Amino acid sequence: MILDPPAIASLYRSHGHVVLRRARTLLGSEADAREALQEIFTALVRNPDSVRSAGSIVGWLYQATTHHCLNTLRKARTGARVLELHVRPGLPETGGPRGEAAAEVRRLLALLPEDVAAAVVYHHLDGMTHAEVAELLGCSRRQVGYLLERAQGLWDRAEQTA
Amino acid sequence: MNLATTPLSWNACLSALRLDRWMMGELDAADSETVGTHVSACAACSAAVAGMRGVREEVRALPLPAALGRPAPRRPMPVFTVAGVGLALAASLFLVLRTPPPVERSKGTGLGLTMYVQHGDEVRRAAPGESVSPGDAVRFAVSTPSPAYVAVLSLDPAGKASVYFPQAPYAAHVPAGTEVPLPLGTRLDGTTGEERLLGIFCASAIELEPIREALERGQDATSLPADCQGLRWSFVKR
Repeated sequence: MILDPPAIASLYRSHGHVVLRRARTLLGSEADAREALQEIFTALVRNPDSVRSAGSIVGWLYQATTHHCLNTLRKARTGARVLELHVRPGLPETGGPRGEAAAEVRRLLALLPEDVAAAVVYHHLDGMTHAEVAELLGCSRRQVGYLLERAQGLWDRAEQTA
Repeated sequence: MNLATTPLSWNACLSALRLDRWMMGELDAADSETVGTHVSACAACSAAVAGMRGVREEVRALPLPAALGRPAPRRPMPVFTVAGVGLALAASLFLVLRTPPPVERSKGTGLGLTMYVQHGDEVRRAAPGESVSPGDAVRFAVSTPSPAYVAVLSLDPAGKASVYFPQAPYAAHVPAGTEVPLPLGTRLDGTTGEERLLGIFCASAIELEPIREALERGQDATSLPADCQGLRWSFVKR
């Protein structure tokens, strides 16, 4: 597989929407989603081997986007904590009740361990079957079931302490 | 809050991954047909696919990231042999394109595939089935009324299939136009016999390996995803 910059540019045109659409959902910010799109494909120029060995381009883009967005959410959470402590406590959520609930989902995703959060994203936000989640996470379907159970438990606990 | 019913939860029956793989031509023919049939009958899934297509158009209109937008560094283009096909590809080979056309056309679609042959100093358009000689250089041009993702695959006399254009795992974007020359030329080696070619025109950058495998299995254009059309071509090397 030849993945030089022109080939990656072609991939960006043909497959970039997979990244942008999911990044919008996960991050809830157009600017952050576009940054995710740019960073994921720019990283591919630096390290084309990462996708070369993947069985599926779409699958690889799902993994890269999920990883990138969960990191972004965690960084945002850290930043929000600093803001709470030093600048302006209680930043209001925007977008009405539905927007607030979506923001709450993102806040809770940032609290979960990476594999648990990824399982939640794939199963609940992308509607994947346990088999599809297992394929992307590289684990068994049974492990996926365990991760999702754990996620709901952690989710319930986080909501209670919020 | 139940994780299954958050405002961000997926609400089509097929997963986003499955629909994306279907759109991008990653599913095999049977699976692709199953998904296509379902999507056409399911309001939730067809709405999800419409949303995906909308974002795809948005991305195509966005400027490329700086790291991708720079011109590729110029480098010497090697001549090498495509395994089993006996075609030596030379990207630096450019034939002078002249008029008029023997061209393989798909009626009513505006799609066309034209082949040019350089024999010694003479360049001519080749008709489908035309005889060519070992050592001749060939180059293809395509006609398409709208931008398309294009690939040309080859099946040699021994039944071995290869991707002739592009040298990439996915079909390459070609702008709308009449007889747009593909950037790679090919020099024919000494293997003789009939070489069959399949030019494909798709709405998305489909993966080529499943098509190549299908060609070897003799499935030809019947294996193409729903958003693709195929044009056949052949020449005889003797």
